[in-house]
Amino acid sequence: MLVDLSHFLSVLSTTLFLLTSTLVLVLDCNKKHSSILIKRAFSHAFILLFFSFAIYVYLAATDDFSVVYISQHSNSMLPTFYKVTSIWSAHEGSMFLWILFLSAWGFVFNLNKDSNLKIKNFAIGIVSIIIVGFQLFLLITSNPFETNLPFSPANGADINPVLQDPALAIHPPFLYLGYVGFVIPFAYGLAFLLNGNAGINWEKVVRSWSVSAWIFLTIGICLGSWWAYYELGWGGYWFWDPVENVALMPWLAATAFVHSLSVASKSKSLRIWTLLLSIIVFSLSLFGAFIVRSGIIDSIHSFANDPQRGMYLLVFIGIILFSSLWLFTSRFDLLTSKTKIKSFSKESFISLNNIFFGVLIFATMMGITYPLIYELAYDQKISVGAPFYNAIYAPVTVLASIILIISIESKWGRSFKKIQKFNQLNLSLALSLVAAISLYFYANNGSVIIYISAFVGFLLLIRYLILLVFNTFQKKHINISSMLAHMGLGMLILSVSANSIFSSERVFNMYPNDIKTYRNISISFDDLQLINNSNHDSIRAVFKVVDSNGKSSLLYPEKRKYFVRGQITSETAIKATPLKDIYITIGDQLDNKSWVVNVQLNYFIRYVWLSAIMMALSGLIIVISSYRSKS
Amino acid sequence: MKQILKILVFLVPFCIFAFFYTYLSKDNSYPGADYRVFEIPSFALTELYTETELSNEDLSGNFLINVWASWCITCRVEHGFLEKLSNNGIRIVGLNYKDERSDAIDWLKKYRDPYELVIHDFNGSLALDMGVTGAPETFLISNGKVIAHYRGEVNQMIWEDVFIRVIKDSEIIL
Amino acid sequence: MKQHRKKRLINILLISLLSGSGVLMVLYALNTNLDYFYTPSEIISEKLPSNKRVKVGGMVREGSVTRNGEDISFVITDYEESISVQYKGIVPDLFKEGSGVVALGYMENNSLKAEKVLAKHDENYMPPALNK
Repeated sequence: MLVDLSHFLSVLSTTLFLLTSTLVLVLDCNKKHSSILIKRAFSHAFILLFFSFAIYVYLAATDDFSVVYISQHSNSMLPTFYKVTSIWSAHEGSMFLWILFLSAWGFVFNLNKDSNLKIKNFAIGIVSIIIVGFQLFLLITSNPFETNLPFSPANGADINPVLQDPALAIHPPFLYLGYVGFVIPFAYGLAFLLNGNAGINWEKVVRSWSVSAWIFLTIGICLGSWWAYYELGWGGYWFWDPVENVALMPWLAATAFVHSLSVASKSKSLRIWTLLLSIIVFSLSLFGAFIVRSGIIDSIHSFANDPQRGMYLLVFIGIILFSSLWLFTSRFDLLTSKTKIKSFSKESFISLNNIFFGVLIFATMMGITYPLIYELAYDQKISVGAPFYNAIYAPVTVLASIILIISIESKWGRSFKKIQKFNQLNLSLALSLVAAISLYFYANNGSVIIYISAFVGFLLLIRYLILLVFNTFQKKHINISSMLAHMGLGMLILSVSANSIFSSERVFNMYPNDIKTYRNISISFDDLQLINNSNHDSIRAVFKVVDSNGKSSLLYPEKRKYFVRGQITSETAIKATPLKDIYITIGDQLDNKSWVVNVQLNYFIRYVWLSAIMMALSGLIIVISSYRSKS
Repeated sequence: MKQILKILVFLVPFCIFAFFYTYLSKDNSYPGADYRVFEIPSFALTELYTETELSNEDLSGNFLINVWASWCITCRVEHGFLEKLSNNGIRIVGLNYKDERSDAIDWLKKYRDPYELVIHDFNGSLALDMGVTGAPETFLISNGKVIAHYRGEVNQMIWEDVFIRVIKDSEIIL
Repeated sequence: MKQHRKKRLINILLISLLSGSGVLMVLYALNTNLDYFYTPSEIISEKLPSNKRVKVGGMVREGSVTRNGEDISFVITDYEESISVQYKGIVPDLFKEGSGVVALGYMENNSLKAEKVLAKHDENYMPPALNK
């Protein structure tokens, strides 16, 4: 049976990864031939795993329902694409994907030429042992290869129809690529500590790897937000769900990390903190995996409750975390920087911002754990929602952004005494103030803090634009990636604020052929259709929407009923314009045959995701330019 | 100074780790489990195959009641485990929930019947009285009383952590 | 050297001050922004001030859902006590009689004025497809 072959290949790859780490322990890692041996062992282990996964994909794509996992999460009526993506729709399969990606990063990193063989081999050894740990976890507690035999279902259970969506299908792969990518700086940092030579610039080596992982994580989170927006029907793009928060924490830590990497690789200061951060980032990624799978968090995202698995995972992560921390505390002395950070230099500002990131991570962690602590202590359930997170994120982000603006004036390795680009800063401040105040008078809605945030958003965007203009004219060097990333931040702050200020929604009760007007937009309920699809029936409403500028468009919100589970879902209909989204969902049909219709106007929401794309692009620029400078 | 930082570096993750460890070990891990004890509500329904009348008097001793239906997908997944239990001598009474009689019989023919007896509850009236909200659900019965109720698929782990525990505590023999 | 030590002290002070205030801010915000979760029995037994935002969870009692245009009212029960809920808007797709629900809002005269209604996400609760 093919599934047994796939299983066998996975087990074989586990033994080869184990062999790899053993080789690293016993061989002299300085020697070239050891290196070749280790490299071969790892590559072969990866290739076996790759084929194991490839066979599994084939099994899913060809409806092999004798495999328990496939029978639980796929169905012959699914389009082939979703049969494949159903593999990572639940715990066992997504864990399998996680492990595949972990080894893929190791594989690609291994191909890389590195002058320091010893550190590289140690790093590969560390990656291997981590992979083995996860593989054992998979094979022992979460075996995706279990069969139903002798009993083989004729068909599978459909996966949740909410999961049959292109964005949601590719969101986990991007997220996982991000999460596991941080094993590289983690392993390399530890290998560096083990090796004991402070002169080596390990920060420079891992920089592109860290940035690449960060890019994937950024895109993964962005996809999740975008999906949640159009699928869940609430018109929001971020819900502070625990599962969203556990993806945000490593992202925050990773952002702090890549900044610290710049400082450490350029000026040899902050090295201890940077190494600690590499441990923290990876640990937060692992923590994210743990939380989602442990059954502790009850959320629409979480995988099935399984405290026993949660326990295994927690202990495994604990072992990784505490052994790396022990290594760190026993060896970090060798990283003590000779150079001190000068006050008011760029390094000092980046260090300062690290504190802000720390506060945000702490706040998010508290938001996740406090309800659990409270429940344990007082036996009462509480929840922490958006108000808490907004109360922390808004002021901290504003403060951090102001520091960022000031830091533009600063230089590497030197303190700045007076603001050099005085005219530029003045101009930016003036323009942003005008923009924010005009916004306030135009909208006349919302609290002061929102307008302060909007001001800061404007400031970031305008300041960098002016910098771009002036530097281009003066033929000065421009750091494009930094500019793009920070403008992305400004865009994010501004669009979040503007979205909050301008957006609105209204619920209507409409009969077919009714016309309602909402904020200068006319909405007419033109038609109701019944449609049959391969795995669901749907009632589709046709709305004609005429915008305030006279443009008309048709929107088709639906109510779907999926056959295999009898589950009912709503499909939202969205008309996106540069300024806003017109967002319609239909509710239930009342006894009098009228429908409950929800109309939302979501302003500037697309710019939230645009900012993520800007950040991802800025990372790409770094990776490409560092690749170029190497060759 | 360095000592303080070293300790801090360990302390923070340790607190988080210890907390989650404690939380996971706590017994609240099964939200689907309900241990409230109550009498089996009185009912007058029919047997699935023969359509003979059934009521509370026909149920005696210690056994499981498993709520299932042919339209319930998870029931198919749970079925294998129920067969295992029944092969080990555990008595399971099936409560066929909101199902067409012919569909239910066909299903049992196709997947094999692990039940000692199947009550046909077409309207779900007995199920409603017992607090059933869907399928599959399983009740542990002892002397006419429900002593454990699990909402969701019963597998080896749930069987051990929820049911075996109650069986041991109440010292009944199943 | 004194200059060096002074700078060190300032650094440490700055870091501690910022981190400390960050931590305090977080703890304060936590305590002022909690949503308490109650079952219907707990709501009835405790006298809650009407300005406290609460979450009530339980099952939607069969036959209790009535709709009137944009308004919907229903009863949340834990099979011992029940609370009636009023909500204006579209309820989530998983919302059904006999199914789990959580409503977030303020209590007003022994009934809950809900600002948000969330349905329990659970794959095991599958009411029969009435037309097959």
